[in-house]
Amino acid sequence: MVTDSAPSDVEVVARVLGGDGEAFGILIRRYEPGLLRFATRMLGNPDAAADAVAESLVRAYRHLAQCRDPVRLRSWLYRITGNRCRSHLARRHTNDISLSEVPAPALADGSDTWAVLERSEQVALVERALAALPEEKREAFVLKHVEGMSYDEMAVVTGARIPTLKMRVHRAREALLAALEAFV
Amino acid sequence: MIDPRLHEALDGERDPAELPADLRESYARLHAAAQLLEAVAPLSVATRVMAEIREIALEARADGPALRLGRWLSRPRAVTVRLRPVWTLALAAGLAAILLLPSGPGGAPTPGDREGVARFVGHFPGARSVEVVGSFNDWSRGALHLQDDDHDGIWHGDAILPAGQHEYMFIVDGERWVADPLAGRYVDDGFGAGQENSLLIVRPAAAAAQP
Repeated sequence: MVTDSAPSDVEVVARVLGGDGEAFGILIRRYEPGLLRFATRMLGNPDAAADAVAESLVRAYRHLAQCRDPVRLRSWLYRITGNRCRSHLARRHTNDISLSEVPAPALADGSDTWAVLERSEQVALVERALAALPEEKREAFVLKHVEGMSYDEMAVVTGARIPTLKMRVHRAREALLAALEAFV
Repeated sequence: MIDPRLHEALDGERDPAELPADLRESYARLHAAAQLLEAVAPLSVATRVMAEIREIALEARADGPALRLGRWLSRPRAVTVRLRPVWTLALAAGLAAILLLPSGPGGAPTPGDREGVARFVGHFPGARSVEVVGSFNDWSRGALHLQDDDHDGIWHGDAILPAGQHEYMFIVDGERWVADPLAGRYVDDGFGAGQENSLLIVRPAAAAAQP
């Protein structure tokens, strides 16, 4: 989130390229939560996601001068991270993520055990349905509905055309809905 | 296949309150699923990333010869390129080209045994500035500016580069990244969106001079 008092991405990029490497920490703090969420949903494993995001951020730092449009830095970072996630998935020789790797995040208020269990079951169910999607549809759904991106930004991130992305999102919704309804 | 109205509502193109009850239920189910997926384990990679970045910075400072090469490459140099008519015609047709020379023209620095001269030429009528960034100068802006002294839209400049393969792009007017249409070879920029950098292969001047 960029506030009025925070330097813009363009300003921070200029500082880093000017030799102030520590300023890159501003970008990490700004985009790390979203990138980790995206990678976790793509890879299904928080440790693998952390590796992918760390590698992506270091790569972004090394190649920051190649960021052709710093105004769209967020899209550029997601693109690098998505690419890194695909490499991780390719190394596993499968697009599917292991259900055993999916974490079950706890509620902030853990006092209500039943609520925690119910929520954990719901999360596991949704994660199982997401994990069953092919990689491209999983990515499209996560970018659209978890990261809240527009189709325009998704196109920048993925390199795919907007009609293609819409089709992937639609197919992902259909598959998820069918999976969720089957468990009702 | 689900009702298109549900997709429209999920894409923000239709008020979900207008949906029939069964579609509203599906809408709520997908919306809730997305909200559940927003929660992930609290992690941070900031410390390890910054540690690695500091190491990179230290390595860069300690890299004497590379730094010297970078400084040398970053010095602006103007080299006159005499275009033959056939090239002039080709470039006037809106083409950009890059030629590799075995050695520098008279007056220019002489390349070493493992270096060659790359000549960058591009046709950018009306451009205010054209520069070249690439893997050879760590994609640094302002390091290698092309010249158009006679204002005919043909921008050119030379650089002595290490022999081997280099990726590069033109930046026109400081903001527009343009691949060299006549590079002949291109390589994915590695960021996964299908964008390509132009590819240049520099032969050592000594090898290129041999018949």
